[in-house]
Amino acid sequence: MRKIDDILNTVRMLEEGNLDVRTVTMGVNIDSCAHPDAAKASVAVYKKIHSLAKELVPLCDRLTTKYGLPIVNKRLAVSPVSRLLEGHSEADAMQIAFALDRAAADVKVDLIGGYTALVQRGVTEGEALLIRSLPQVLSRTQRLCASVNVAATAAGINVDAIRLVSATMLKIAEATKENNGFGCAKLVVFANIPENNPFMAGAYLGAGEASSVINVGVSGPGVVKRAVETLVKEHPDVTLDEIAEVVKHTAFRVTRTGELIGREVAAKLGVNFGVVDLSLAPTPKVGDSVGEIYQAMGIAKIGAPGSTAAVAMLNDAVKKGGIFASSSVGGLSGAFLPVMEDHALAGAVKAGYLTMEKLEAMTAVCSVGLDMIALPGDIGADALSGIIMDEMAIGVFTGKTTAVRLIPVPGKKVGDYVDFGGLFGAACITNVACPDGNQEFIAHGGHIPAPINSLKN
Amino acid sequence: MTAEKSRFVVSVLAFDRIGLIQAITSAIADRGGDIDGMSQTVIRGYFTVIITAKFDNNYEKEEIRDAILQNFPPREASVVVRDYEENSRHPSGQTERYIMTLTGKDRPGILKMVSTYLAESNINIEDYYFTIQGEEVTHIGELSIPIDIDIKQLIGELHTLVSSIGLVAALQHENLFRAANDIFSIRQLFKERSCEK
Repeated sequence: MRKIDDILNTVRMLEEGNLDVRTVTMGVNIDSCAHPDAAKASVAVYKKIHSLAKELVPLCDRLTTKYGLPIVNKRLAVSPVSRLLEGHSEADAMQIAFALDRAAADVKVDLIGGYTALVQRGVTEGEALLIRSLPQVLSRTQRLCASVNVAATAAGINVDAIRLVSATMLKIAEATKENNGFGCAKLVVFANIPENNPFMAGAYLGAGEASSVINVGVSGPGVVKRAVETLVKEHPDVTLDEIAEVVKHTAFRVTRTGELIGREVAAKLGVNFGVVDLSLAPTPKVGDSVGEIYQAMGIAKIGAPGSTAAVAMLNDAVKKGGIFASSSVGGLSGAFLPVMEDHALAGAVKAGYLTMEKLEAMTAVCSVGLDMIALPGDIGADALSGIIMDEMAIGVFTGKTTAVRLIPVPGKKVGDYVDFGGLFGAACITNVACPDGNQEFIAHGGHIPAPINSLKN
Repeated sequence: MTAEKSRFVVSVLAFDRIGLIQAITSAIADRGGDIDGMSQTVIRGYFTVIITAKFDNNYEKEEIRDAILQNFPPREASVVVRDYEENSRHPSGQTERYIMTLTGKDRPGILKMVSTYLAESNINIEDYYFTIQGEEVTHIGELSIPIDIDIKQLIGELHTLVSSIGLVAALQHENLFRAANDIFSIRQLFKERSCEK
């Protein structure tokens, strides 16, 4: 006989806390699909993905029934497509992109990541082609997500690549202007990109991984918020370390459910189980917000002084609970701050409480990065480059993953509202306090050398 | 050739107080009994225990019953002793263990309705308990469900059944509760590939 409290707590996590598994992401290595004939490469890509992943969604649906636990997203992440593009043309890139998109649609996943280039030291022809193809690819495919790694602690910061990427981001926004620049929501620019991140848009299958693998993104901002809220309500004089403790215990349970699902999917598909990513990933839905956790902790206006400390505390407590729960923790495992995907963060930006500068400071203690932020359509490439360089510097010099996913919205300015609908959410447009004055610095280009702390041998 | 030992199942019901287990088990031990199974519960002040025991000597079950009763004041305890038979009526076939929870306003008839449905569906209740807070009740049943049953359909039927009396049902595989509450390596639950083929 199991303790009644154990059973009730678990059931309540699901019913009142909106516990779910945010994503089950299957990594598929498609290196073997490379071919000088793009048509043959496209067919190979489609067949490989289809044969390996066709059971993923039905299996996840069966597990949802078995455990009463929603698996919100089923996704795919392939090995870097730039490797398939060496020696090819832009038309070839488009053909291969369509094959990936179609394969994802036919196995019924909602997103496929891995349209990726790793350019932290230099850019190959295939990688340059991939970056050049992004405006067309991201405007004409539905499910394909892209990422570019422009920096690494071991490599430094490739400023030339950043300048190329920011110019490309403006082109992507222009190519998707009918949809408010939505193409940019499918591109993440990274420092220290993780090889096993299950979340989009930055998921890809790293070189060190097996040929197929299951990685899981847990969820539970609602569960954590409910735990904090209950604690504070019952004990208003609770201290911050006691709040941290309850977050830690909750993170344990949330991580365990994620690992259960991930291992069962992997076992039943006959592939390796990879990692549980501990990141608290919100959706725009009320009750499923990371911002609400900060509010439950007492930060009524997210962005007020103390917000950085709150993020640091939450992120650390989640990691402590998660690492005890599972020995296979990885991916990003940070605290997301996706403005458009979190109604409380979006509200704080709209009210002027939460600025780009504060967001940047918060990323220094939780990594992940400047995510799903809508910017004015007329933002300059140099401003974008500078924003990216700053976020990359935080990641490179602290040894963490950081990233940017920024959306310049054509024709809109600061204060305007943009709504992408669904999981991508909505927010007001914001900007850095000082968007120019850096042109000469950016124009130097080149490479910021790897920091001294990368020389560990 | 050794004499076949007698084996009995003993069940006792009494108002709870200090000394009940002592009274029962000393009667058994004093007759050469070896207790090999036991489970005890107290509900609303009433004690009940089920015990299985082997006896070296050829005691009859009535003698064991009398021996236990002698350790109690008259009319305090209800004692039943039965011959232990290998249980051939236990459900066979592969099952999976699920946890059912029902929540809502308490009323008579819940158990009858639910246990009838489960029995008709060939589902064994391994453990059942409930807790009442004010007018709200939560029933928890640990069930053995045959693997050939369609869980989705079962959940739908259960939900419809209990919502007719104002209750909400949930049914989840026990792995979820083990994972979220117990400390053990989850990979033990599944056979894993050890290396790339």
